[in-house]
Amino acid sequence: AATAPGKKITARLKRTLPVRGPQAPTLSELMRWYCLNTNTHGCRRIVVSRGRLRRLLWILLTLSAVGLILWQCAELLMNYYSASVSVTVQFQKLPFPAVTICNINPYKYSAMKEYLSELDKETKKALETFYGFSEGKSKVRRSVDEWNSTGSDFFQQIPLLKVEDFSRTATDLHSGQKRKIEGSVFHKDSSIVNSGDSNDIIGFQLCDANNSSECALYTFSSGVNAIQEWYKLHYMNIMAQIPLETKEKLSYSADDLLLTCFFDGLSCDKRHFTRFHHPLHGNCYTFNSGENGTILSTSTGGSEYGLQVVLYIDEADYNPFLVTSTGAKIIVHDQNEYPFIEDIGTEIETAAATSIGMHFTRSRKLSKPYSDCTETGADIPVENLYNKSYSLQICLHSCFQKAMVDSCGCAQYAQPLPTGAEYCNYKKNPNWMYCYYRLHEKFVKEQLGCQQICKDACSFKEWALTTSIAQWPSTVSEDWMLRVLSWDKGQKLNKKLNKTDLANLMVFYKDLNERFISENPANTLVILLSNFGGQLGLWMSCSVVCVIEIVEVFFIDSLSIVMRRQWQRANKWWKDHKRGSLGKAPQASDLERQGHHNPVCIDEDLPTFTTALRLPLPQDSPLPRTPPPNYSTLRLETAFTEQLPDTLELSQH
Amino acid sequence: MNLKKYLVRALHRLQKGPGYTYKELLVWYCDNTNTHGPKRIIKEGPKKKLIWFFLTLLFASLVFWQWGILINTYLSYNVTSSLSIGFKTMKFPAVTVCNANPFKYSEVKHLLKELDRLIEAALERILQPMPGNSSDNVSPPLDLELWNQIPLVLIDEHDKDNPIILDIFETNQTTGGNKTAMGNKTSVSSLAALCPQCSHQGSDNCTYRNFSSAAQAVTEWYILQSTSILSKVPLHERIRMGYQAEDMILACLYGAEPCNYKNFTQIYHPDHGNCYIFNWGMDEEALNSSNPGAEFGLKLILDISQQDYIPYLSSAAGARLMLHQQRSFPFLKDQGIYAMAGTETSIGVLVDELERMGYPYSDCTMNGSDIPVKNLYSQYNTSYSIQACLRSCFQNHMVEICGCGHYMFPLPEGVNYCNNEDNPGWAYCYSSLRSSIKQRQVCIDSCKETCNDTQYKMTISMADWPSEASEDWIFHILSYERDMSTNVTLDRNGIIKLNIYFQEYNYRTISESAATTIVWLLSSLGGQFGFWMGGSVLCLIEFGEIIIDSLWITIIHVIGWCKGLKQRRARARFPDAPPTVSELVEAHTNLGFQPEPAVPRAEALPPEPGTPPPNYDSLRVQPLHGLGPDSDTE
Repeated sequence: AATAPGKKITARLKRTLPVRGPQAPTLSELMRWYCLNTNTHGCRRIVVSRGRLRRLLWILLTLSAVGLILWQCAELLMNYYSASVSVTVQFQKLPFPAVTICNINPYKYSAMKEYLSELDKETKKALETFYGFSEGKSKVRRSVDEWNSTGSDFFQQIPLLKVEDFSRTATDLHSGQKRKIEGSVFHKDSSIVNSGDSNDIIGFQLCDANNSSECALYTFSSGVNAIQEWYKLHYMNIMAQIPLETKEKLSYSADDLLLTCFFDGLSCDKRHFTRFHHPLHGNCYTFNSGENGTILSTSTGGSEYGLQVVLYIDEADYNPFLVTSTGAKIIVHDQNEYPFIEDIGTEIETAAATSIGMHFTRSRKLSKPYSDCTETGADIPVENLYNKSYSLQICLHSCFQKAMVDSCGCAQYAQPLPTGAEYCNYKKNPNWMYCYYRLHEKFVKEQLGCQQICKDACSFKEWALTTSIAQWPSTVSEDWMLRVLSWDKGQKLNKKLNKTDLANLMVFYKDLNERFISENPANTLVILLSNFGGQLGLWMSCSVVCVIEIVEVFFIDSLSIVMRRQWQRANKWWKDHKRGSLGKAPQASDLERQGHHNPVCIDEDLPTFTTALRLPLPQDSPLPRTPPPNYSTLRLETAFTEQLPDTLELSQH
Repeated sequence: MNLKKYLVRALHRLQKGPGYTYKELLVWYCDNTNTHGPKRIIKEGPKKKLIWFFLTLLFASLVFWQWGILINTYLSYNVTSSLSIGFKTMKFPAVTVCNANPFKYSEVKHLLKELDRLIEAALERILQPMPGNSSDNVSPPLDLELWNQIPLVLIDEHDKDNPIILDIFETNQTTGGNKTAMGNKTSVSSLAALCPQCSHQGSDNCTYRNFSSAAQAVTEWYILQSTSILSKVPLHERIRMGYQAEDMILACLYGAEPCNYKNFTQIYHPDHGNCYIFNWGMDEEALNSSNPGAEFGLKLILDISQQDYIPYLSSAAGARLMLHQQRSFPFLKDQGIYAMAGTETSIGVLVDELERMGYPYSDCTMNGSDIPVKNLYSQYNTSYSIQACLRSCFQNHMVEICGCGHYMFPLPEGVNYCNNEDNPGWAYCYSSLRSSIKQRQVCIDSCKETCNDTQYKMTISMADWPSEASEDWIFHILSYERDMSTNVTLDRNGIIKLNIYFQEYNYRTISESAATTIVWLLSSLGGQFGFWMGGSVLCLIEFGEIIIDSLWITIIHVIGWCKGLKQRRARARFPDAPPTVSELVEAHTNLGFQPEPAVPRAEALPPEPGTPPPNYDSLRVQPLHGLGPDSDTE
């Protein structure tokens, strides 16, 4: 009694949702049915064609069409992630870029005297010892005498050496002793060194402080390079110990650097400039840095409407060993970019008017999966030490700095400090120079992996510069110009200005056409699908419906037919087995009638009277059966289908 | 006859009903359409029917959605760019050469004499601000008329709220109460030089242009004054005062062929005086260059005679040159570069072309004819360019507002250049117009860039020239050739050598083509339809046909329903049912017709037998042969 309602429900379910197998009893019949009824072209031809040759031909054609479709679709898929480039030019009001201006000399030499006197003395001594050069005999003598009293072990640690090549002996600057060189020899400009000519080579030796047997000797083909490099090494060491506020004071102020300023036809002054302290270039000043929230823009091109400044370059106050050229360095960059002035700055000559015409180009690449670039740099595992937006240069420098802190324990002077680290100096990290040079060597040889980690940024702005130079001031205007500029400079300056102390700079937009080069995906999903559709339709008039059909027929139906066959076979075997044991013969018609047990099974052959009569009667029809007037109506299909003429023909045949 | 037959049939249909139902129509459509989905709906079992119904719906909506996307893409008029780089024989660019200084000082001295004395005295006062010890022994009295129009003043800003304005030539100090200085205040410590400009003399409506540097103030002031003076000089006189071609162009070599100053076209440029243009292909064919390298380019030797510069007007010395297209006007202030005296400047050229499609692909103009700004540079017989448009726009505004044209730009017809006598307030008007952001924006909005944008990318390098060893003989020869004298009349400060040539790759062309054409659109639409449903345009027509048919059915039904309504009303009047119109017609057409109490035939049929009837139509009482069954049901 308890099972009765459950059975009822299942019976009703069976009635309303009949679960039946595929409509064909065998695989070949299924295929035949598929080919006759499918929407794709070609397959039908195989079944319908008469003659073996023709049928073979159609099979080949259909198969090749399938092959072509697969090939073309694979091509389409492979080319999916390709990008097309579009260039647009827009004429508009353009934001003026930030212009960072530095004096090539970082700090006033006169102010730096107290920090650098020892180093300078040492350098002069080296110059005299190795090259016999001296500014004034008596002065140098005195300084040499003084030297012995104020000895610094640091200079003794890393002295300049005169190397006699291949004999592997070096003459020390101080002691004059010859000593054997151990460890590896690095030629800083190695490819240029002529190994045959054993001139005296100047260099310096860096040793691992913990393990003095491990040393590296750096030699240079020219003393100019050697002395500058050596000077820079010690200079960085000294500068690393001076706090930032002091350094800012030692460098040039905005009033020192900028004499006049003119932007977009209006006068500007030092308030339009933002100070930016660069470790190697001292105080730099950025025009239009956007720090106060507003970014200036120009709505007119041409030299009158750009930035015009006259810079005061105090040539007399230059450091003679650190920088050997005179002038200023400028860089045009975006407000969010860090100005890598030492890498990509443009040098400005004194006593000349430098006119820099800009042309603005903006580029944008597509990020993954189109190309390997990064949008914001957030996915790069290198911490951005600079307070600016990501760029490849920032990443490389940050990566190096990180490696430096990790392996040497202190940070390199030319780059910003990571949190919790401090700049290297000899007192605290006696080993840093050796470590730094070793690390730098590795970095250049791409052994640190920085070049692999860092990716280029996807979008970047570029100002193409056209630089030209004119003489300034002209000979006839020199006189009044210098007088008025001296007056501008004010009472602070006692001397009259010299024209080699001045540089005139004009930065302007050549035109207000902004070029925007962008990559766009060449394909969208819509286009890919319609290309698929085109291919499928062209070769076989196929669509997704056909694909579903194929899946249905070839996978689900075929599988169920095979399964059913197996099940029957197993069943039969089991019955045989049982019957064998019982001694009964199997019924012959068991298998034969299989298809007809299924009331919705549609045979391709038209039913004969006998088969038709074997069909079960509809249960709920109370009416007597009238003999059917037409065979085709005997089918248990919907009443509206019509027999297609060719199948009719076939079945009659 | 046919028409009549058709009409009769239509009438018959109207009376008799459509002959098929919506369902029949739909089933027939599904069975016979070429679209792939619907056929499956009717051919499968009930479960699959449901699945296929939803699949077909899904696919149809997918198709429409993607069609929408495709049409949208098409209407956005995207372009694809193709880039080509290489070397080919190209038109050599037109080369404009000017002197940075517009006029020979020796020629204009008599015009500027008063002004120069004025500025010298002013400089004297500025540099030695104590009135007592300065040398006041300037013998001829200064003409202060020029001065009074636009005086130079010093503003002492120690007291921020109450700046002291000090006229340089007057000792009385006026406290600037109502005179508000324009622009940012300069630093408190230093004195600032300003030049105020009054709209009317003596009126209080003054603005002070504020300069942080005296050098700049003096230069600007001098430019304003000299502009006013020189604008009164007629054009041919101004041309005479400028540098002459034979004095300026000392040597010229194009390729291996010699050329001379006669190959240059003279043009008067307001900024730079006489300019000379090489290869300006206005009338004749432009020169081609078919070889890269300096040997095959243009070589020039110029003399800028720096000694003859106007001292206060231009402080930079050199030649100004520019490369441009044959039919364009040289805007040297924008695109020109300097060449320094005493050097050899080599310029490698790469022609950077951008060819764009016009409307609707991008908002550019082909020849400027659709720009609402009158191009004033067309008087030079040059083509449209954005710079020309902007300047014309400014000049038109200037003429409109100030009543006179600015000296730096060409004049519209019937207008004169501004000068201090005729237009005393012009400087004020000009500077307020120039700094007006609104005016600039109006011009930017009304001007469009050209579709074909050609730029000459230059690689500039410089070397000292002539070398010390060769200096003597070069100067000697050049002096002899120019002045026929054996004395050296040239020097390092005036002489410039220029090499202009094509680089190894001389062009880079970016050309646009439409990314989406109508062919693309059609094939994509077809692809989508085919991909999801295997359909084509014919399927759409089929669908349309079905819609028309169902409309037809609806119309007939509606008419039938109306008729029924009328009948019911009529029946309400006459209780016994009168023959309906359709019955009458039927009786008329069908001889065997018996007016029975007609109920709709479908209801009169007996319940369905076990086997369905072969065809509904065959059971119908066929009308007369002349009015055969509708072809739809066949």
